[in-house]
Amino acid sequence: MDHSLPQIADPIQHAPASETGRRPEAPQFTDDPMLDRLYGVTLALVTELAVTRSRLDALERVLARRELVDRGEVDAFVPDNFEAVTRGRLQSEYLERVMRALE
Amino acid sequence: MGRHDVLPAAQHDDMARFDVIAHLNARVAQVLAPKVKAAYDSRARQGFRLRHGRDPLDRHDVAEAMQREPAYRIFSLVRRNNMEIRQHAGRQLVAREAASLCDRARALNEGAATLRLNPALETPRYVSAVDTHLMRGGYAAERMADDVTNPANYDAGMYATTGGAAGPWNDAAGRALVDWLKHEHPQFKPRRIVDLGCGLGHNTLPLRAAFPEAEIIAIDVAAPMLRYGHARARSLGVSDITFMQADATSAPVEENSCDLVFTTMVLHETSRQALPRFFSEAHRLLRAGGLTVHLEQPPYRGLDPFEQFMRDWDGRFNNEPFWSALHESDLPALLVKAGFGVHNVFESRCSALPPSQSVIKNEDFGRAPSWYVVGAWQAAKGIAAIG
Repeated sequence: MDHSLPQIADPIQHAPASETGRRPEAPQFTDDPMLDRLYGVTLALVTELAVTRSRLDALERVLARRELVDRGEVDAFVPDNFEAVTRGRLQSEYLERVMRALE
Repeated sequence: MGRHDVLPAAQHDDMARFDVIAHLNARVAQVLAPKVKAAYDSRARQGFRLRHGRDPLDRHDVAEAMQREPAYRIFSLVRRNNMEIRQHAGRQLVAREAASLCDRARALNEGAATLRLNPALETPRYVSAVDTHLMRGGYAAERMADDVTNPANYDAGMYATTGGAAGPWNDAAGRALVDWLKHEHPQFKPRRIVDLGCGLGHNTLPLRAAFPEAEIIAIDVAAPMLRYGHARARSLGVSDITFMQADATSAPVEENSCDLVFTTMVLHETSRQALPRFFSEAHRLLRAGGLTVHLEQPPYRGLDPFEQFMRDWDGRFNNEPFWSALHESDLPALLVKAGFGVHNVFESRCSALPPSQSVIKNEDFGRAPSWYVVGAWQAAKGIAAIG
């Protein structure tokens, strides 16, 4: 694995083209390219879990402030049709984020 | 983060995502970077000595010594993934309200003579061919009519990349330039100011506040940045900066007419061919007694080889193809070559105080609000050439 930058007159030639639909060239940091992708998923999951924990924390604090909901209500939650569609869209956006390195 | 009317409406999860990315970047700087240094000091440098019979002399030697080191690979892997995650989070954020963002910018820009676009302008290849810092499509991407989505992404996500160090208005470089001018040259009162490569104008606005009497022209090649920057400025109550689409190396501004021509973190995103032309254009634009100033990261010359190597990370892994070459360039010599007198060329440093909410406390190899300053005073033309 050679990380040294090519010594060339025109470095832009070695930069990925834009607007071609190609993702930026992915460098390889481990000896196995599959492992790099696994790290990609893992780090995205780290981010997303932090977001979820933050949201849950925010929600619990809002509910506690208003003394509105007890935990049993959340456990028994069933979405209506509109809510189910919205939650499905959120799930697919989420999967796009965490699966990006494999896609 | 400072609010204005073209900022994407980030909701809780968007903010939480940028926030965790900023904190991960801080951990990269504070936890992983010292481990890279420790691996170099304890093992890699010695290995290089054994193989070559000498110490590493420059960033290339350090790169050879470090390329197999797990600490550097982990540091790079996490930092690169953070950049990718940050860009992707910003793309999702702006995609959700793309039409509304463009409408809001259009409404703010409607009929304004201070936004001067030139659809006939050819985008230089160093902008059109590069997804700079992994920003897909680059600065000039036009995906829809009056597109402002990439600059909106850039603006909204900058604090995640810098850990908040650029301040709520992402204007630390502009504020640092103003502080430097007021401290070093308190008598200097520019009447006409040109920002070459203004982007979305975040570093132009502090000049407006500092020199309220001056005419300010902000030039960029990328129409989306100018649309967004012009709308953003108006939303913030600034409607007397001209945002002009032009190539900074051949600006449609008359010669000998300007007092201050500056760039902030632009030169490293140009090219070997364009860089000298930025300086010769500054020389053309300035009248006698005028000043050109450029804020960049420090040049590699004179830096410890390990620090050169760490600062070169963006050149290797962050789609900054000209980064390494710029930091190895002799900018004072190029200014002299552009026509400035050798005794009128100077180098300096400037910095902006990081705001208290910044999560990055130590130098993050190219991300801290501290810059190398290089520039020149314009003597009476004809005299300058003698030096």
